Amino acid sequence: MTSPRTQELIEHWRDQPAPLLSLLHALHDRDGFLSDGVLREVARGLRAPLADLYGTVTFYHHFARFPPGKSAPRVCTGPVCRLRGADALLDELRKDGATPMACSGRCDEPIPVLTGDEVHVGVDSASLVNRPTPLPAVRPDGGEECVFGGIRDAGRAKLAGYGGWAALERAVREQSSEQVIATITDSGLAGRGGACFLTGTKWNAVLEAPGEPKTIVCNADEGEPGCFKDRVLLDHDPHAVLEGMALAAYATGATQGFVYLRYEYPQTMPILEAAIAEAEAVGLLGERILGSDFSFRIHVRRGAGAYICGEEGSLLNSLEGKHPFPRNRPPFPVTHGYNDKPTVVNNVETLASAPPIVRNGAEWYRGLGLGDHAGTKLISLSGDIARPGNYEVPIGLPLRTLLDDWAGGAPGGKAIKAVTMAGLSGGFLAGDDFAVTLDEPSIRARGSFLGAGGIIVYDETRDMVVAAHDVMKFFAHESCGKCFPCRIGTQRLTERLAGEAGPASLADWQSEVVDIGTTMKATSACGLGMAAPLVTESLLRCFPEEVEKHLGA
Amino acid sequence: MTTLTIDGQQQSFTPGETIYEIAERAHADIPTLCYDPRLKAFGACRLCVVEVEGVRNPVASCTAKATDGMVVRTATPTIDKHRKTLLELVASENREVDVDPLRGYASQELAMLVDRYDARTGRFRGKASGKSQETDQNPFILRDYDLCISCYRCVRVCAEQEGDHAISVRNRGFETQITVEFDGDLKSGTCTFCGQCVQTCPTGALADRKAIRATELPGPIEKARTVCPYCGVGCSVDLQAKGGKLVGVLPAMDGPANEGALCIKGQFAFDFVQHPDRLASPLVRREDGELHPASWDEALDRAAGGFMKARDMHGRHSVYAVASGRAPHEAAYAVQKFIRVGFMTNQVDNCSRA
Amino acid sequence: MSNPLADMEKPQTIFCIGTNMTECHPVAATRLKKAVANGARMIVADPRRIGLCDHADLYLPIRVGSDVALLLGMAHVIARDGLVNEAFVRERTTQVEEFFEHIKGFPPEWAAEITGVPAADIEKAARWYGEVERGAIYYTLGITEHICGVDNVQSLCNLALMTGHIGREGTGINPMRGQNNIQGAGDCGALPNNFPGFQSVIDPAVQAKFEKLWGVKVDLEKGCTKVAALDRCGDEIKAMLICGENTVVSDPNLAHCRKALERLDHLVVADIFLTETAAMADVVLPATSWGETDGVNTNTERRVQRLRAAVPPVGEAKPDWWLLSELAKRCGLRGFEWQSAKDVFNELCEVSPLYHGLDWDRIDTGEYHWPCPDKDHPGEPRLHSEGFINGRGVFKLLDYRDPAETVSDEFPVWLTTGRRLPAYHTHTQTGRSAGIDYLLSEETLEVHPDDVADWGLSDGEWCTMSSARGSIRIKVQANSCSPRGTVFASFSFADTPVNILTGGGYDPATDTAELKVCPVRIEASFRA
Repeated sequence: MTSPRTQELIEHWRDQPAPLLSLLHALHDRDGFLSDGVLREVARGLRAPLADLYGTVTFYHHFARFPPGKSAPRVCTGPVCRLRGADALLDELRKDGATPMACSGRCDEPIPVLTGDEVHVGVDSASLVNRPTPLPAVRPDGGEECVFGGIRDAGRAKLAGYGGWAALERAVREQSSEQVIATITDSGLAGRGGACFLTGTKWNAVLEAPGEPKTIVCNADEGEPGCFKDRVLLDHDPHAVLEGMALAAYATGATQGFVYLRYEYPQTMPILEAAIAEAEAVGLLGERILGSDFSFRIHVRRGAGAYICGEEGSLLNSLEGKHPFPRNRPPFPVTHGYNDKPTVVNNVETLASAPPIVRNGAEWYRGLGLGDHAGTKLISLSGDIARPGNYEVPIGLPLRTLLDDWAGGAPGGKAIKAVTMAGLSGGFLAGDDFAVTLDEPSIRARGSFLGAGGIIVYDETRDMVVAAHDVMKFFAHESCGKCFPCRIGTQRLTERLAGEAGPASLADWQSEVVDIGTTMKATSACGLGMAAPLVTESLLRCFPEEVEKHLGA
Repeated sequence: MTTLTIDGQQQSFTPGETIYEIAERAHADIPTLCYDPRLKAFGACRLCVVEVEGVRNPVASCTAKATDGMVVRTATPTIDKHRKTLLELVASENREVDVDPLRGYASQELAMLVDRYDARTGRFRGKASGKSQETDQNPFILRDYDLCISCYRCVRVCAEQEGDHAISVRNRGFETQITVEFDGDLKSGTCTFCGQCVQTCPTGALADRKAIRATELPGPIEKARTVCPYCGVGCSVDLQAKGGKLVGVLPAMDGPANEGALCIKGQFAFDFVQHPDRLASPLVRREDGELHPASWDEALDRAAGGFMKARDMHGRHSVYAVASGRAPHEAAYAVQKFIRVGFMTNQVDNCSRA
Repeated sequence: MSNPLADMEKPQTIFCIGTNMTECHPVAATRLKKAVANGARMIVADPRRIGLCDHADLYLPIRVGSDVALLLGMAHVIARDGLVNEAFVRERTTQVEEFFEHIKGFPPEWAAEITGVPAADIEKAARWYGEVERGAIYYTLGITEHICGVDNVQSLCNLALMTGHIGREGTGINPMRGQNNIQGAGDCGALPNNFPGFQSVIDPAVQAKFEKLWGVKVDLEKGCTKVAALDRCGDEIKAMLICGENTVVSDPNLAHCRKALERLDHLVVADIFLTETAAMADVVLPATSWGETDGVNTNTERRVQRLRAAVPPVGEAKPDWWLLSELAKRCGLRGFEWQSAKDVFNELCEVSPLYHGLDWDRIDTGEYHWPCPDKDHPGEPRLHSEGFINGRGVFKLLDYRDPAETVSDEFPVWLTTGRRLPAYHTHTQTGRSAGIDYLLSEETLEVHPDDVADWGLSDGEWCTMSSARGSIRIKVQANSCSPRGTVFASFSFADTPVNILTGGGYDPATDTAELKVCPVRIEASFRA
């Protein structure tokens, strides 16, 4: 079979919505890298400036410009994988041209190695296997779940097994947009990507915003290290996510949707595409859904390796084919989103929560939380913990209950020294902090936040300065480079944690690190730069003696 | 009417204006490095952050739209401390902050801010960012990226003002590098050498290679506002001279026809003025058939004599004059008046027909 | 230009014809690029695929010299498709019925035959221009340097009158003037038919005015154009003063031009270099250069701006006004006792109604566009908003004419000439500026790559190019900017004098040479 010519691919994609990433992937898949000649043709074909296109391609970590490119293995050296010996595996695979990659969202499994479009996991080259995403364990306390409510049913990824889109059907046949939004609003559902903005309020803003077409974007660029909950939803319950998008579209008047899927989840792409095709085949997506006037199409777009594309402004720029810098806000996506038109950007988990809420009612969902807290939250638990994996916890669950009772504590009877919050962005909790409950008010009172719900556990043997350095290095690597405090600050903090630069005395070291961190938190343009200093802040708060020890060494 | 309070002063504004724009009108002098009033506000340097009452974090005034009743403080101790830290960070990534002003119009911005915020502390030392493109030997634009602070003004001016999209940015984070496609020379891409990137660069990282030839010349830089001598657009420029030598051209940011824009000719093609080929004295053709230097008196007598002779021998229409479309009004006016008054003829034209 | 430069960012449809703006008026082009980036549609008509085409939504690759046909076809479509601005036509124009009857005979299919542009694209261009509220036309020498230059301009005027795209923001008929003060030279009366301020030399009232102002008798008849004057050198014309023009390189039909100057009894040239023309003079007067001279220029949007000296003059160079006043004194004339450029300019303002409200100090910051008839007048950035100077806009009934010379068996290729970004005109200034040769070091002939192969040429090698008037050697540059059968060169290099070939015809109304069309023959030439 001869591979398609560049010009044919350009012509195929040119008139599709959000063509650039898909076109680049098609060419990257074909050749394994993006040559000068190919980029010249793409620039001409899409009438895009070549310099901009070149710059944008270099922004993404996974677009190779030279062979062997895509076919060379990439070994995850995220913070959890490093705890498990990722460096050794990388060294072992260097002979095959292996390079490192940032956390690829499989922290509950052995170390992932991405080769082409396949992910193998293992602790050494001999043990590497390709296997499906593990299902979440049954909730240990037997409590009711929302998003994981049906995920363990075999065949759930198929429309037949899923049993139809009852929530959408009910909404389209019986409810107005406003009624759907009222249910979501009353449920108290808030953005599960970490921003905690009330979903009903967001949908309502898009409903009311002028401008068409409106768009629903499912943010499946799950890039936060220590987070892998969206992957399990997409792989085992894709219809729940798609139905959630369709509900959002019905509620807001949107006619097109995108799933922006992170590059490191190649196995998810065919699952999503098959689910979309199934739904289209039975009239649940496409024109005149369920015989109504409601039409909605979903397109899947793959990212190419950039943590910042999980930030909604960057994600929208990326979809539009622009350089994926975050956008200045306001205006917000609800009025100026994709192509500057009203857009809902919701996380996978948020969207997957919508169908059960519409099916079972707002009161049901509110009742799933503990105390005054409404609903549930998925937590991805990894690191030094006996039973890593995804857990759907009632909001307000004590952290220690999750760590000790649900997940079995640190392996080998060791004590837990620290945990991260929000994947990495929340910095460390330790000591007294373990008294928190899993809800934003409780955790924010400790200067951290729950965010997307990733928790990495460090046992008593871990060196927290090394851990902090790993984290800061990740942020420095993923900083987009737009705003000064983040671009320079993450670099300077990384150097100081590594002992590569900076004062030797603790007082001076601390003064520099605190000044940088304070200004980063206050003045950075997006969440990355604001959150990164929580790492040094919590390190200095919880482990000053470890810092002093490193400076002395 | 919509108003806000800036540093205790009430200011009225038009909805849609940013805090920075209003503050500038109120002479608040908010520092910036990534701002150029001709470009869309970008929000990279964060130096323009201000305190807005009721908002937890400082707000980037260049991108934030003002709202009615807003209370803004542009220079609190906290805000100024952030600015100092930001400037210390910026200074820490560069080879130096003090550069020759001949490098470009905005080249002193960083040095001036570092002084203003007392940020020459040498704190935050670490790796330098940006790598100079030493292989690009074009004679116009020095690409001294060791001085680059990734403010993106060059990228943006090239795209938004010039419309050439020749400059872009490679990689991300601290590895960010201003570049062109495939990291080549400027000549290899769509660059037209208009020099707008040079003139908006706040650190001199992009520098006027022709002007800095005069770095070692003694004396102050003297400037004169004039209009570009090439096409009919009429771009305003400030000529730079040092000790009587013309050393460079700056675009006039307030030039009504060009608003700071120039092209390669207006920006870089100025040194014909003091070229050795310039005619330094009158010439007359002598008996040997050759042109020889002569005094003004001799040349003018000879020139006038020739015209009078033609008139006297062949009549008033035998004298003809061509005025230049390149010389100023005074030349054209004088030429036509000379012909009309002196010879009672309308035998005069200019070079517009070919 | 009828409209100010700032208006270039405001049209909904931009129609550029015969203007290589990104190379010849780059700063003006930035405004069009901004307009396009903000959503304006741009149509570019040009024989070559010039840089503007990269920003255009529609490119019309017309055959050289076929502009009138294209514009007639567009006018036909605008009328046919009901896109005429009826109110404007009723209130502001005349000769309406005759015009609309006339253009019925020129459907786009007819225009397509002549121009080589598909009829559908002609229709699209007409509709895009006709259907919007703000359409603007921009042109340069690609319109005027033809034997039908006046017809071309009037065809454009017809389109603007039909649609009412004149006199409002973001509209207009906008010629881009090519030289810094070519507008000013005309304003100052360096024309055979006009006194300063475009006051006709054959108007008795104007004659009386200048006789009074200058205290002398004035000529009651028009002079001849420079083109005609060159034809009459040695016959009627015996003495010539040329200020700041390299006639023997820039003008068409160079051999003729050189012979003409040789036949003069007396040639005086004022310039800043010993140009090819100055080298032929009896007396050469060294003028001060830009950068050394105080004065005034008027740009393409009629904006009157000051020039200021930055450095002292080289050697004994003197400003033109000074050397003319000295010549005048030596001829025994009065009224030339100026002490400064300011004196000269203020005298111009006194005699020209267009400048009457201006003076040296008032134009300090360059905010005025003429006409500015009195001190209270704000100037007029936008012309024709209320009415036309002569009352109503007259529709002109035009027909297509072939260029003076058309391709034949002997001269089968169209040569068209123009400029390149780094070089200005005959390169006397840009060629003496350091670094320019990094981008442009010699003249080349742009030939379509397929023609290079077909004609037995090789990229980078020499060829001989001949027209009815002569032949030159020039290096071939394979480049798909030019369409097949058409080649392009500039006249910036005196050692590749392309204007030896040109000069087949002149516009009968203006004497402007047909520099844009010249049939040639091209042969490979192996002599180094």
